[in-house]
Amino acid sequence: MIEARGLVKRFGSRVVLDDLDFTVERGRRLALLGLNGAGKTTLLRCLMGLLAFEGSVLIDGVDVATAGKRARGRVGYVPQRPPLFSMTLGSLVEFFSALRGIPERRIAGRLEALGLPLDETAALSLRELSGGMVQKALLAVALAADPPVLLLDEPTANLDPQARGEFMRVLRAVDEDTTLLLASHRLDEVEMVADRIWILHDGRRVFDGTLDELRAAARADSWLWIRTVQERRDDARQKFIELAGEEAVMANGKHVAVQLPAAARVDALSGLRQAGVPIEEFWVVGPSLEEIVRGFFVKGGSGESR
Amino acid sequence: MSRAEVLRTLVRRELGESLRSRWFVTYSAVFLAGAVALTLFGLSGSQVYGYRGFAKLMAGLVHLALLFVPLMALFPATAAIAGERETGSLEYLVSQPISFGELFWGKWLGVSLAVSLSLSLGFGFAGAVAVSGGTPWQLVALLLALTLLLAQAFVAIGLLCSALARSRARATSAGLILWIIAVGLGTLGLMGLVLHWGLPRFIVTIWAFANPVEAFRLGVIASLDSDGSLLGPVGGAWVTTLGAGWMIALCLVTLLLWTILPTVLAWWRFRRPQPRSPL
Repeated sequence: MIEARGLVKRFGSRVVLDDLDFTVERGRRLALLGLNGAGKTTLLRCLMGLLAFEGSVLIDGVDVATAGKRARGRVGYVPQRPPLFSMTLGSLVEFFSALRGIPERRIAGRLEALGLPLDETAALSLRELSGGMVQKALLAVALAADPPVLLLDEPTANLDPQARGEFMRVLRAVDEDTTLLLASHRLDEVEMVADRIWILHDGRRVFDGTLDELRAAARADSWLWIRTVQERRDDARQKFIELAGEEAVMANGKHVAVQLPAAARVDALSGLRQAGVPIEEFWVVGPSLEEIVRGFFVKGGSGESR
Repeated sequence: MSRAEVLRTLVRRELGESLRSRWFVTYSAVFLAGAVALTLFGLSGSQVYGYRGFAKLMAGLVHLALLFVPLMALFPATAAIAGERETGSLEYLVSQPISFGELFWGKWLGVSLAVSLSLSLGFGFAGAVAVSGGTPWQLVALLLALTLLLAQAFVAIGLLCSALARSRARATSAGLILWIIAVGLGTLGLMGLVLHWGLPRFIVTIWAFANPVEAFRLGVIASLDSDGSLLGPVGGAWVTTLGAGWMIALCLVTLLLWTILPTVLAWWRFRRPQPRSPL
């Protein structure tokens, strides 16, 4: 459980976190969204007591400002940028198990679950490992202590799709009592892990709800894609522009897409048929997280705390 | 985890990091080689000139230490905080259940131990040979203590640079500039400046004890040459006024202050989360 009261963080005259009051209940899976510079990383650093701040933060009932060490003992953390320790994976396991007071086999077990069996990888230098492998090792360290709170700062930003999949699968399987805060830019991750979403903007929480509520607030529609023949591609594109405007249409090779509400999709397809544009295939793709967040700011009337 | 267990874990890591550092190993190897060579010369010299000949060659070892000991201390110390800040590992370390103070003192102890071990190896070999050649063990112990204190003073200076600088390169540059000033601007050089610009002479006296390298030099030579003939004008005058014993004590206190003050300042900078984080 995380509780913050009157949390303010300033860098000089710039207010990065502006009087935040919130409670994240035990077992909550919270995604933290926002444009770059919205204050996501700063918030996570304040929650761990790595930055001085005004107000109070309790992690699992422990005051971060006065008992930072004890509070951090209740937190597992994975940063966005993997730290470049000059040690082997085996030394990393030995060092952090000693530092956190947990048996090495617990970290080794987590590594195994993440596809990094220690008996094969212990001698590898961290500087020679890929960013994804180091992030997995850090996740193993974070999970091995079974902390009540997990803080993840865009942990898969540098991972390839396969590594991201393995990472998220392990994250989904964490204990249901664990409170999880995930700063992310990826919709698939948020969908997979989070049951609640916050949007930070200029240091304030401007949205607090589910992904469906965010979609509704953002009014970000899905993309309807069609595949037609090359010579009729421009006709299809023109029809879509007439329907939704040029900004909501894109084309690539034989493919054309239009972003429009679900109710208008059938009409769009019928219109193409009536114009004699052959449709070889069609499918629907949901909006990206960036589109939803952008849509929230453009159409959702950001700036007011909800 | 108790504070002692956390410290032990951090010190072990820092010690290993320092001992694996390329620069540190290079300077340590050069110092060891120089110490061995000078000791062997000292042995042959002592057969011709007796203990006095050996003492003069020990002064050569001291000049070797003047150049290398500060560098051996500066490189791991300047990297300890600023280097880890650059690689992102500092933030990750303090996100663990440890306090800022434990991390700082773990680093200080680790670097100090690494430098002390390396110096004790080089000086220990020379000292053992010296004692077997008739040099009083108390003198060897005093020289070792002065050398270790000089190293600790530069560990402290390096850590302060590391805590204040935003990057490892800046921390190392600042440390090297201080080293050049300390080594390059000896008493004689400063006297030239005093005479050239007509500055008050007490500046030279203050400088002799404000500069850790100079304090080390005066302390060592006073212990080898109690009549002050090798000490130069300032040191000679001080030995005459104070006596060699007090002169050495004053040098030890100066070096101790140079060890304590920058360390405390560095700790003050690092000890807790800052408005602008030390991370």
